[in-house]
Amino acid sequence: MSKSIVKWLDNIIADVEGVGYQRKSDRRIRMDVASDTLPTLLELLRGRASYVHLSAITCVDWIEDDEFELVYHLWSYENNTLVSAHTRVPRSPGVYLSVYDIYHPAAFFERDIHEMFGLYFEGSPDMERFILTEWDGPPPMRKDFDAEGWVQRKFNFQDYHPEWLKQLEDEGGGVAIRPEEVRAKKRADKP
Amino acid sequence: MTENTDIPVMLERDGDPKRTNPLAHVFDELVRFCRSRSLFMLHYCTGCGAIELPPAMTSRFDMERLGIQPMVTPRQADILLVTGYVSVKTLKRIILTYEQMSSPKYVVGICSCTVNGGMYWQSYATAKKLDEYLPVDLYIAGCMPRPEAVIEGMKKLMADIKSGKASNWQDYYRNYDYYLGNQQHLFGDNWQTPTDVVGEARNYALAGPGTTGEHTALLEQYQRPLEPITSHFRIGETVEPGDEQGDG
Repeated sequence: MSKSIVKWLDNIIADVEGVGYQRKSDRRIRMDVASDTLPTLLELLRGRASYVHLSAITCVDWIEDDEFELVYHLWSYENNTLVSAHTRVPRSPGVYLSVYDIYHPAAFFERDIHEMFGLYFEGSPDMERFILTEWDGPPPMRKDFDAEGWVQRKFNFQDYHPEWLKQLEDEGGGVAIRPEEVRAKKRADKP
Repeated sequence: MTENTDIPVMLERDGDPKRTNPLAHVFDELVRFCRSRSLFMLHYCTGCGAIELPPAMTSRFDMERLGIQPMVTPRQADILLVTGYVSVKTLKRIILTYEQMSSPKYVVGICSCTVNGGMYWQSYATAKKLDEYLPVDLYIAGCMPRPEAVIEGMKKLMADIKSGKASNWQDYYRNYDYYLGNQQHLFGDNWQTPTDVVGEARNYALAGPGTTGEHTALLEQYQRPLEPITSHFRIGETVEPGDEQGDG
């Protein structure tokens, strides 16, 4: 059974037009498809080729191409191979189809991607806030999000107090062996 | 259910709060000494610093010989240990925990992350200065501090309690408006906790000019009255074979 599926994938799927098929190694296959054929491919892999486990959906923001790349990682327990199905969707308007009807765990991954990248999945059961419940800014994992600027605007930082260290040293604490001394000693010990 | 009116509540402090007993200060000193020798700590393990606490508490370094013990509930704890980075979502829970603790209470921030954000200084999700949101008595810096450093810090805290210097919990009541303002800056204007801090401050006679202000006014504006939680129990009920639907 398992061998025939691999052969079928290698020989038949690889020849289908519109599917970029690459065998990366014995247990890894990469497929590149257009965004409108991806649900069909997933349905085929799940229904006909034993890829029943969706381990993750990852999202990559390719800001120069103005596209999001979605990677669906599928695992088969029968022939122990991982299929990574890659697809690309435009960044705007940022709407894509949910695969919740094919794989139920997709609901969590899609909700997470919606929160972190702002990509909306049509047909997903819940697109509410997930982890960042207090978040009021733009989606933080987008490449155009300036995390450092956000932090500088939103939070205050502690001032530097050199007198604290002095107070520690007066009490007999502080740095016992200075790093430059350690380095000098190492240099001296070298033959 | 117990009616709310059945619970005796002391609304007003009767009599003069000024103390007349000449031995009051001696007694205070004794109380502070005893307090510093029996500390129960609630370690809110938010980050990696928590990993240094088991060796500090167990036989290798044995913090219990100093009278410090872990406690399981905030209502019986004296010290709130915040070990490591504090994300904005976690900070809400820390504030809820802190307000449940009974006074006097002390907050200890362990690791660099509580001081200044640490290695997560440019993360959008973590709060940087813990002392903006809670009155921190002591910071133990380090990434992570070794158990020796934790014990050294605890000894400092004990000395501060004994000398009466560790009184930052009063600062939370005196300057509640400042702390609440910073909390509202992160959580939004409708942020509220079930604890009536202003009422507690008045009860402890700690209310000052900084207790109320524009932020507490905002709190009152959004405050919803607390509702009793209703629980439903199904005891001795038999489910008919016909209607086995729902949560069965």
